[in-house]
Amino acid sequence: MRFGLLGLCCASLAVAADLPVLIQNATILTVTNGVIRGSILLENGKIAAIGEKVLAPAGAMVIDGSGKYVMPGIIDCHSHIMIEAINEGSVSVSSMVGIGDVLNPEDIAIYRALAGGVTTANILHGSANSIGGKTLVMKMRWGRSAEEMKFQGAMPGIKFALGENPKRAGNITGFGFAAPGQAARYPATRMGVEDVIREAFNDAKVYRASWDEYKARTARGEIAIPPARDLKLEPLVEVLEGKRLVHAHCYRQDEILMLLRVADDYGFKIRTLQHALEAYKVAKEIAAHGAGVSTFSDWWAYKMEAQDAIPYNAAILVRKGVLTSLNSDDPELMRHLDKEAAKTMKYGGLSETEALSLVTINPARQLMIDNRVGSLEVGKDADVLLYDGHPLSNFSKVLKVWIDGHEYFDRDADIQQRTRLEIEKKALIGKAAAERSLSRPAGSGQTVRVQGGPAL
Amino acid sequence: MKLRFRPTLILAAIITASTAADMAAQGPGAYVLRDARVVIVSGPVIEHGTVVVRDGLIEAVGSSVAIPADAWVIDCKGLTVYPGLIDALSTWGLSGAAAAPPAQGRGRGAAGPPTGPPSRGPEDRPSNTSYLKAADEISPTAPAIEMARNAGFTTAVVFPNQNIFSGQGSVIDLAGERAGQMVVADSVGQCVILKTNGFRSFPGSLMGTIAYIRQIYLDAEHYTVAKSVYEKHPQGLQRPQYDRTLEGVIMSPRVLLPAERQVEVLRMLALARELKLNAVLYGGHEAWKAVNELKASNTPVLVSLRWPQRMADNDPALQDPLRVLEFRDKAPSSPGILARAGVKFAFYSDNAGAPRELLRNAKKAIDAGLPPDDAIRAMTLSPAEIFGVADRLGSIDKGKIANLVVADGDLFQDRVKIKYVFVDGAKFEPLPEAPPPGRAGRGAIPSAAEEQN
Amino acid sequence: MRYLVLLVCAIIRVTVASGQTYLIRGANIHTMAGPDIQNGSVLIRDGRIAGVGHNLAAPKDAKLIDARGLQVYPGMIDAGTEIGLVEVNAVRETEDTDELGRYNPQLVALTAVNPSSEHIPVTRVNGITTVATMPEGQLISGQVSLIHLDGWTTRDMGIKARAALHIRMPFIQTEGRRVFVPDNESGGGAEPGAGFANAKRDFDKQMSDLNDFFESARRYKLARDTKAPDFKPDLRLEAMVPVIEGAEPVLVTAIREREIRDAIAFADKQRVKIILCEAPEAWKVAKEIKAHDIPVILGPVLALPLDEDDPYDRAFTTAADLDKAGIRFAFATLTGSASLSSRNLPYQAAQAVAFGLPHDDALKALTRNAAEIWGIGNQAGTIEEGKFADIIVTDGDPLETRTRIHDLFINGKLVDLNNRQKDLYDKYINRP
Repeated sequence: MRFGLLGLCCASLAVAADLPVLIQNATILTVTNGVIRGSILLENGKIAAIGEKVLAPAGAMVIDGSGKYVMPGIIDCHSHIMIEAINEGSVSVSSMVGIGDVLNPEDIAIYRALAGGVTTANILHGSANSIGGKTLVMKMRWGRSAEEMKFQGAMPGIKFALGENPKRAGNITGFGFAAPGQAARYPATRMGVEDVIREAFNDAKVYRASWDEYKARTARGEIAIPPARDLKLEPLVEVLEGKRLVHAHCYRQDEILMLLRVADDYGFKIRTLQHALEAYKVAKEIAAHGAGVSTFSDWWAYKMEAQDAIPYNAAILVRKGVLTSLNSDDPELMRHLDKEAAKTMKYGGLSETEALSLVTINPARQLMIDNRVGSLEVGKDADVLLYDGHPLSNFSKVLKVWIDGHEYFDRDADIQQRTRLEIEKKALIGKAAAERSLSRPAGSGQTVRVQGGPAL
Repeated sequence: MKLRFRPTLILAAIITASTAADMAAQGPGAYVLRDARVVIVSGPVIEHGTVVVRDGLIEAVGSSVAIPADAWVIDCKGLTVYPGLIDALSTWGLSGAAAAPPAQGRGRGAAGPPTGPPSRGPEDRPSNTSYLKAADEISPTAPAIEMARNAGFTTAVVFPNQNIFSGQGSVIDLAGERAGQMVVADSVGQCVILKTNGFRSFPGSLMGTIAYIRQIYLDAEHYTVAKSVYEKHPQGLQRPQYDRTLEGVIMSPRVLLPAERQVEVLRMLALARELKLNAVLYGGHEAWKAVNELKASNTPVLVSLRWPQRMADNDPALQDPLRVLEFRDKAPSSPGILARAGVKFAFYSDNAGAPRELLRNAKKAIDAGLPPDDAIRAMTLSPAEIFGVADRLGSIDKGKIANLVVADGDLFQDRVKIKYVFVDGAKFEPLPEAPPPGRAGRGAIPSAAEEQN
Repeated sequence: MRYLVLLVCAIIRVTVASGQTYLIRGANIHTMAGPDIQNGSVLIRDGRIAGVGHNLAAPKDAKLIDARGLQVYPGMIDAGTEIGLVEVNAVRETEDTDELGRYNPQLVALTAVNPSSEHIPVTRVNGITTVATMPEGQLISGQVSLIHLDGWTTRDMGIKARAALHIRMPFIQTEGRRVFVPDNESGGGAEPGAGFANAKRDFDKQMSDLNDFFESARRYKLARDTKAPDFKPDLRLEAMVPVIEGAEPVLVTAIREREIRDAIAFADKQRVKIILCEAPEAWKVAKEIKAHDIPVILGPVLALPLDEDDPYDRAFTTAADLDKAGIRFAFATLTGSASLSSRNLPYQAAQAVAFGLPHDDALKALTRNAAEIWGIGNQAGTIEEGKFADIIVTDGDPLETRTRIHDLFINGKLVDLNNRQKDLYDKYINRP
């Protein structure tokens, strides 16, 4: 129901009580507890029961799942959909900005991702800066407001970026973000990227100390002017205090180890290494730090630092004990992360469950929301997908998607409403054209119009 | 972006109507508008009423008012008297008249090529002229003033509009020989525009701009605290640095934030709530989708009278998405829905065309469900209330400034003629509207004239 | 140094001498030329298929491939790529697709194919044995070449150097038309589709120039054929002669419905054979395409809809729509971006199957149709005697990701299934 909720005022937070949903006779891929042939009950936004036989509560919608498959909603640990700005690329440390300020719940990419089975996504700032902006975990509750799409209780994050992207702005021969005659933006090397991060955390520690000193002075009854709040350093203090997760875009093994060293030196953790196409080369060190890796299934060759990318990356990391997920970083790829997961069976020989974990429970663990989502377990959020075949088969597709037990996508309904939307659209186009011709004074080509910005 | 008036009628109007001001200068001290339909706005319409104007103020209004002996009596039988119209967000009268602030954040306010060194963060105070006041930039001879007045506008809330923190708006009466005479209130709010600089200079993106706004308000708060601590204990404390960009923000009693679409309304409301801003939103075409939030937060909205529409020179093969079609279709319904929900709103010109077009555009909101009384209010008392000058402007009440418009019928009628306009008690007689420009042809305008505008 | 190492790897990989005879036995053979042959054999000799059927006798010199329980298919063909012409997208020095200038019919893709490109071994291990590789540019970008994904030199690899002339159909380009992202990084863009009148003028000029160019080629040919006294050879126009003679097709990249219609009208006017390329909106023009019997090389299936209001599965269903309309089509990954790796060609086709394309038609599009559209139907695309021995032996449906390729023959050579990515895997999985 693409436009089913549009037009409704977003004020009402509560979803009208959804009927319980019972899917029977299905193959249920729980991810954490094996495969069950039977039923799953969604009630009050949660998974209420899973088993060979589950009784339908009164009023439940019963779905015959014969020949069909059920799996947990897909979680994309790296996406830039639903935001109206991606990069604050003007500075090397842009931690003062956050994607929470620019969420766009009307982005059609949300619905398209939903139709591909994505129920939760980690929405990230871009990679133009060594330390980028603040990030958020969102649920794809299409039709609701930005606020209502936020994954309540999920830890906020921050984007870091290493390698070619952050140093590109400093490179006149690169994309040349610096205008002629302007100083290029530091850094222009991987060495400089390390320095920027160290300087920033140095500043953050000084900042934290300045507040501590102020509090101490006022506690002693001394007169003091409080330090000015610094929105750039506050998120970094949160990182130091473990209240904000670091998601670091990186490629090469050297820069991965650099970041782990910096984090160790300053006493914080890298939660996920994003892309990390050479992570397989330093799996041991990554595992020792406790960082997760969120990578592409098989992207490579698009830039120099992606030359050693191999589709076996995820499989090696899994085998070497690194918490690993597959992400999209792309609104199209986001629509078939299930098929991306299947590639790890081909490249590296992961099992079906291991493959599915890469797009469900593993990203949930990386985002520390695995108590809520990522697998089919009683008590977890009813973020559930219904497929017409095995999700790891290229011939299967998503039929229905529930989030919190509410149906947000239904393929049949989508197909049925297409004609209606077409008619609606034609009517509006006709109406607008009629009004325009009416409002135009006879004999004049145009209404009086002052030059200004274009009308929407 | 500089604004240029292109159509011929504007120049024609300016030249031929320029005698009105002379008349005003020689006019008597008192006028009586007798036997008029008086739409006082603050109360019920007086069907056969009289308004007495003296020394720039409304001396009396009512159905049985004594007529002073010295007054110039104007028989207004069959005519309707309204409070002078107010443009709630305007650039009329600004010297070097610039385009009105864009309501849409998405690139509309994009800055031109950067000049000077790039900004590397909020501390560089980029795009911040919060200390400017529109009152200091008014040119009494700006052609827009007379054009607006001829269309029934007596007042404009004029804002600088070149920066993220553009400066302070002033309430300006649209007549006067010196700028100082025209100013009703010099600082009624700060106008924020969501400009971006790209990768070259901070803030480069919408989220950078919002973060910058947030930092500025935090800095302003800190500045106030630091100054007050220092004033009390100057010895032994580091002296806070003087910062005019923060001074400008602190002295602005309210802030205007752009919000056109629903998502922008909710976004700006959240920002205002977080920073405890006394906010007014401008744009408002999809505000109808967020009436509950607007009502709950008691946030007024300035609704642009430039209704969104598809550009004429668009590729016919490119269909607009349903989302955009609906946005355009529903925009004129927004004021009606705001009115029903009890959200305070006012109209603003937003370059919608010649001032006379504005009434026609407001009529579209009426056609889409806005009660006519509310439409008038949105151009008179509501803007006065929103900007805190309702004690002197916005309705026909004793003691208020004598800004009036006298028409030969309902203001929103298609063929209504404006007979008189009073600004600060001075009478003006607008000339009839010129024919549409298309008939004369654009070629008739000398390009130099465009430059002058 | 690094390149040296690469080169050495590439040399080592091709270990099998040409001329070896093979007999694949006991397989389920999907010939794509008729019914499948259960428990059949394929004889490969001198690079060609020397026999297909039951109980083929094994020649003495034949190496036997026991394929009991396995499947045999013709090698798949990616009908549009940049393989060999681009190594690293972001590194200009490794990119040879875009020449300067708008009229470059004389350029031939095969010239610049790098036989040592790592894309070649990476792609073929998924069963893609043949690709069309094409220059890209603003208007006439050059000649598309058909290559085998194996060979010591471009001469070994080349199947057809001049398979088609690639033209990017001129289109009315209003600002932000193709990719409308009003992002704040760039300070926002103009209204999508605005400035139509100007864009139309530009388009009309481009079209008239393009037609003039074809007209010049005709006059050139006439002058040449009649040995006109003032005739001077011209490499650009010379390259156009096979096109205007109808001997060589024009591959026309056209995105929107209007571009496709313009392309058809152009073909009519110039009396040239065209193949539509990419053509995501071909479904809107299916009737006309069918009526003109124009084949379509369909761009990525795994693609976003062009318009916000398009159904989410718009690109997934286009292949099925063309199939239903009886249009001959093949799949192309058009490897311009990382996610569209040519190696994922079969999975792109599979997505079309998930959304309504009959499975057999998908397979046909990947093999036989692609060969026929590219004019090598008599040499490739099916398992028939006399054709290139481009053959894959698999343990299942090649459209399924988890299916493994057991053996891969290109041009009759048993190709090593290793590549640099596999090498890195082997190396680092064993890192202590």
